[in-house]
Amino acid sequence: MRLWIELVVSGLITGGIYALVAMGLNLQYGLMRILNVSHGEFLMLGAYLTYWAYLVMHLSPFVFLPPLLVGLFVVGLVVHRLCFRRLAETTPEVEAFEARSLLVGFGLMFVVQNVALLVWGADLRGYQYLAGTVSIAGVGFTANRLVAFAAALVLGLGLIAVLRATLLGRAVRAMMQSPTGALLVGIDVRRLHPAVFGVGLALAGAAGALLSMVFEISPSMGEPYTVTALIVIALGGFGSVTGSLLGGLLLGVVEAIGMHLTSPSLKMVLSYGVFMLVLITRPNGLFVR
Amino acid sequence: MSAALRITGLSAGYSGFRILDGLDLDLAAGRITAIVGSNGAGKSTLLRSLAGLLPRGGQAMVDGRVLPPGSATAAVRAGLILVAEGRHLFPRMTVLENLQLGGWLLARPERAARLERALALFPRLGERRNQLAGSMSGGEQQMVALARALVGRPRLLMLDEPSLGLAPRLVDEVMTLVRRIRDEDVTVLLVEQNVAKALAIADDALVLERGRLVASGPAAELLRSSLVRAAYLGGRR
Ligand SMILES: Nc1ncnc2c1ncn2[C@@H]1O[C@H](COP(=O)(O)OP(=O)(O)OP(=O)(O)O)[C@@H](O)[C@H]1O
Ligand SMILES: [Mg+2]
Repeated sequence: MRLWIELVVSGLITGGIYALVAMGLNLQYGLMRILNVSHGEFLMLGAYLTYWAYLVMHLSPFVFLPPLLVGLFVVGLVVHRLCFRRLAETTPEVEAFEARSLLVGFGLMFVVQNVALLVWGADLRGYQYLAGTVSIAGVGFTANRLVAFAAALVLGLGLIAVLRATLLGRAVRAMMQSPTGALLVGIDVRRLHPAVFGVGLALAGAAGALLSMVFEISPSMGEPYTVTALIVIALGGFGSVTGSLLGGLLLGVVEAIGMHLTSPSLKMVLSYGVFMLVLITRPNGLFVR
Repeated sequence: MSAALRITGLSAGYSGFRILDGLDLDLAAGRITAIVGSNGAGKSTLLRSLAGLLPRGGQAMVDGRVLPPGSATAAVRAGLILVAEGRHLFPRMTVLENLQLGGWLLARPERAARLERALALFPRLGERRNQLAGSMSGGEQQMVALARALVGRPRLLMLDEPSLGLAPRLVDEVMTLVRRIRDEDVTVLLVEQNVAKALAIADDALVLERGRLVASGPAAELLRSSLVRAAYLGGRR
């Protein structure tokens, strides 16, 4: 029993991070069809900036989180302006745009990764934050993992609340559900697209900040999260942010249990297995009625 | 509240095809103007370019103010609101949420007030305010589209085939509604396949063929004209 509690809780903790990364990417893809394969790099950036703030300015990750979110949001505006806006204007066909945005994403990936390599080097880095142990139902967890999970959940649920309950959030969903309808009611798509892209990057950065509290970080840490995010999006449904939250948590738990029953080295095989199973049996996602 | 529209030298089309080329048009405020014309004449193209969904050349002036081309937000802000073919509702949102978004550009109190008025005009939507728009029947969806446009405070309401796919009784209902909307001081530009019904409620009418205006005048006159009778009402010359 204790073993299962441990597996499920650690699965949920990783899943919370997956969910954050996937929600951000799903906003970008669901709304603008930007296949941003550099998404994980901004997670890495968030992790390094948090590490740097902790080391140099002695700021706790949570104190640094608000400025980090704002900073990455602005980075998102700039990246959208420089890379994707022009691309969208010159490529009206959706399929062509998706393919080209993928290439741009690869380019961005190399740029961000190499900048991080230059600035921080390739070594693993880390810091100690809330490293004490807390016990849940007799099972011990380090406090930073639990806190990271709580923060991921708060951010994820907060985003869903904004999307559902505020007019601005509904406008974002409106753009996803009917781009023409959004134009017909006067929603300024040219202003909201960059903002949504920025929110996506901010979420990736937040996930990175939370990860840096728990694990060691390196410039190549982002890529696997991009892949996992794509799997989560397929699980939860393209364009469904709530689906991404549930899908992320579910994948985390499935991975944790699967790795325990087989071997940790099979982690990616397990994820891909789930991915293919879902694509074959429920191509619109698990939670779509 | 209603707005006059003056179009000079309007051109619009799709990559490569110029559908409208140098169209001039004057709409008087507070009247219903019907546009008739055969399939592919460019009626929807005209409405879509005015609504900022399509790039266009030439000039469009709303009450003497130039409307910037290619901006849907600017069009809605100027009071030019289109109920497009295909409705374009937000299917996974409730009727109420759809209507609220219709007032996206309005301040909160005005949005709330206009929403109540729209619901009063469409009692059936009031009953179903919490139903998902995508799960409604075609006719109901057309009502939602119309109500959503009304929440947006139109001064010139453009309707692209509002009766498409509606049962005859509903068509009459929509037509009556269009008159009521005009009586509440909104200019209406109405494109309809159902030429007889459109001309019956319209004040003025235009005939568009292959991107050109070939006739215009009071609706009652066009209804009697041999050209319109022959081409659109199945009569003989
Ligand atoms: N997206 C598009 N791409 C290319 N050509 C188009 C497009 N939409 C319309 N057209 C062409 O533009 C012309 C005018 O179309 P439009 O939709 O304005 O006609 P319409 O008068 O509204 O016809 P209908 O009565 O059938 O609705 C047609 O020849 C049509 O084939
Ligand atoms: Mg048409």
